[in-house]
Amino acid sequence: MYADAVQAVIDELGRLPGIGPKSAQRLAFHLMKLPSEDTARLTAAIDEMKARVRFCDRCFNVAEAELCPVCADDRRDASVLCVVEEPRDVVAVERTGEFGGRYHVLGGAISPIEGIGPDQLRVRELLARLDDEGVAEVILATNPNIEGEATAMYLARLLDPLGIEVTKIASGLPVGGDLEYADELTLGRALEGRRKLAGG
Amino acid sequence: MTITRLWLTDYRNHREVDLALDPGVTLLLGPNGWGKTNLLEAVAWLSRGSSFRGAPTEALVRQGAERAVVRAEVDDGGRPILLEAELSPTGRNRIQVNRQRVTRLRDLLGHFRTTVFAPDDLALVKGSPGERRTWIDDLLVDLHPRNHGLRAEVERVLRQRNALLKQARGRLTDDVAATLDVWDAKLVEAGEALAAARTEALAALEPLAAAVSDRLTDGRSTLTATLVAEWATEGLAAALHRVRDDDLRRGMTTVGPQRDDVRLTLDGLPARTHASQGEQRSSALALRLAGHRLVAERTGSTPVVLLDDVFSELDRERTRALVSLVPDAQVVVTAASVLPDEVRFDAVMDLAGLGAGPGTGVGAGAGT
Repeated sequence: MYADAVQAVIDELGRLPGIGPKSAQRLAFHLMKLPSEDTARLTAAIDEMKARVRFCDRCFNVAEAELCPVCADDRRDASVLCVVEEPRDVVAVERTGEFGGRYHVLGGAISPIEGIGPDQLRVRELLARLDDEGVAEVILATNPNIEGEATAMYLARLLDPLGIEVTKIASGLPVGGDLEYADELTLGRALEGRRKLAGG
Repeated sequence: MTITRLWLTDYRNHREVDLALDPGVTLLLGPNGWGKTNLLEAVAWLSRGSSFRGAPTEALVRQGAERAVVRAEVDDGGRPILLEAELSPTGRNRIQVNRQRVTRLRDLLGHFRTTVFAPDDLALVKGSPGERRTWIDDLLVDLHPRNHGLRAEVERVLRQRNALLKQARGRLTDDVAATLDVWDAKLVEAGEALAAARTEALAALEPLAAAVSDRLTDGRSTLTATLVAEWATEGLAAALHRVRDDDLRRGMTTVGPQRDDVRLTLDGLPARTHASQGEQRSSALALRLAGHRLVAERTGSTPVVLLDDVFSELDRERTRALVSLVPDAQVVVTAASVLPDEVRFDAVMDLAGLGAGPGTGVGAGAGT
């Protein structure tokens, strides 16, 4: 329909997550209208990112050196390890400011449909770290969907014989929200994971 | 609960439809091929988020149109609800409830409920176990929207487990076993919950079905419906363990809620093999009616009854019984010709009289 060069850009943009054919088209035409220096800056930024960013040798978070900023920070508590699916989950947990330990990024969740089993995730690397770093507690912070829960269950079973404390983050209600607007599934989970405030 | 108005744009053969509906019993008249069933299908879509005929979205959009729009004004005990759906074969469907966008199907469910009777309901009795599972699971969703999540979870876990079984190519390595254990545990959790919900609903249906089938058959026969699960006595965990080798060899899950059946008996004999065609038709009708009553009882609001050309299949006696058995419900009936006077209609809408026809649409306004 369009000139080949335009169609190629639309096709590439359409491959990105969350971008449908319509959005890809709109973005491509927007890019076409931009001055050359603007598009050059964009492509340079992408090239730069690809050249400089790598995965942390220890936790597989994104890093610009051998170690990511978290692993390079001596003040972090090496005895507590938070296991997440993706680097963006590290960012999410970091934003809370509540966690002072280190991370381990699995690189996804167990999903046979997508051909992902424990071997495709960084599970072996996780096991190796437990001894090396003297980990006493592993916090499982996978996504609260079927695949994430299956991954957490798999890891819990794997770690159970090793005598390390394994915990899973609670799922529950959003802060600042109203109870009446919570869906039954979330509210049900929150009830399940209730905490004692008083009494025997 | 009643549907007071229905608007369609480019839905199946209908270009534009604007119908005001009577709260009582409405007869939709029109020759075959004029889209009577399509109107009922559109109404039912808003209650379940899918076609009751199992049609994919692209079949619901008029040839040559990009999207179809279904809108309805519903009255639930004096509370008006506006339901809107834009169906797109290429993109996502857009759904709005009272002009608020809902992103999950679950949030549409529960606002509006329908009970559909169609000529192929006979498959409920004569067809494969899958027909009966679909029937009971649809009923569970009508009883409570959260069951939609449960059903979806069982399907998802099964897809994952089956994918793993296929990838294992018949060999149970330690790695496969460890991952399989996890999917088994997930399937046990969701599968047993689904089976419990099915069992509970069937038990609640039994007295209702008995009462209804009494009326349909002059008390001649007793209908029962019970869940048959191969794994019921040993539990799903033990059953999955028992068939694991078999599952590995066949690359699929051979035991669980996806294989269960609802056993229907008429006077103690299997209805599928021992009942006459007429008895089977009455049984299917009785099950739908019992489901309708259970939903009305549990949710406190009577679903809208959609009867698609069912009178052509029923004798006068059953026709009269059927309509008398849904006394409080709004009923929309389709038929190709005027019906015998067994049934009293509050409104008759002639699609031909409204200027409709194949490939056109129903004109504005409503007939009473």
